[in-house]
Amino acid sequence: MQRRREIASAPKRSAGEVWQTIRVLLGDTLDRSSSVKRADVDAALDPLGGVARMLISAGHLEGHPLVLVAGELWLEITTVSGGSALSLQENLNPVPGGAGASDWTLHVPQVEPMAKLVRTTVNGHDHLSADEPTAPVQEAAKASGGVDLDAVARWAREAA
Amino acid sequence: MSTATATTTYTYTHTATYLSDVIMGTIADVLALLGITPDGATRWDQDQSAIAAWIEERSLEMVVLECRRPDGKVRPIFEFPVTYKATGEGEFENSRAAMARAHAKITSVPSGTTYRLFCTYRSGHTPQPGWGPGTRASTDGLRSTSFGTLAEAPHASASARYLR
Repeated sequence: MQRRREIASAPKRSAGEVWQTIRVLLGDTLDRSSSVKRADVDAALDPLGGVARMLISAGHLEGHPLVLVAGELWLEITTVSGGSALSLQENLNPVPGGAGASDWTLHVPQVEPMAKLVRTTVNGHDHLSADEPTAPVQEAAKASGGVDLDAVARWAREAA
Repeated sequence: MSTATATTTYTYTHTATYLSDVIMGTIADVLALLGITPDGATRWDQDQSAIAAWIEERSLEMVVLECRRPDGKVRPIFEFPVTYKATGEGEFENSRAAMARAHAKITSVPSGTTYRLFCTYRSGHTPQPGWGPGTRASTDGLRSTSFGTLAEAPHASASARYLR
């Protein structure tokens, strides 16, 4: 289940306020799962506080999303700055799809020149990753017991 | 036929939040580029809040990033002067892409280099948490390169200079 959320940054919010908004969104979303504790989510996100502010202020999250992968949920979070931030219609409600998640990972983009800093920051933290998340279509295929995507593509070509 | 129009009023707070964000983001990129360990989240919020407050009251002249090498030499230095406008016209724009291209001109620093932020003022300013009096390093002998305008906002703009 692929979802997207855009968060207004400056001039509506400072980087610290944006990160707090994202933390609450992630917490509210994962709180729907009976297997995930809110306090554990908060603790897991703590190490990101500094680098998240840097990524937000430098505008890197405008083109490179944070990606939450939790069970069937694939949530991309980007930021919007400038005049567009003031007119952005935000949806800060908990994102559907995370209720069945037993585990979760937040993928932080390795954007230059902050790639090394991102890798260092997430290193050793179970729920944080600097790796590219696995494409959702592949996750869906695994979950359904293995759909032959090549066969689907062949069928689509023949049907066209 | 009727027509409708929407107008947006930009405040000094918007300008201050935007410019402080772009300046801090540029500093973040420079620190990452140079491999200098940044301060934590609490200090970040304190610095951004102070810079925004001083822009909003129009007292801030410039933000200065000094890189202090293990041998005591201070270079490079980055200056971010703020220019205030008489009117509140214009939009929010930034030149982050141009700044990213300018990264190629920034020379590396030795391991163990640390940094300090300074602010200079054009008028009296309100004290802010975490900030106190300080003395800038001398810029004598350093060569200055302008990186041009960094960001424009309705009530002010910020530019960037590189001294090495």
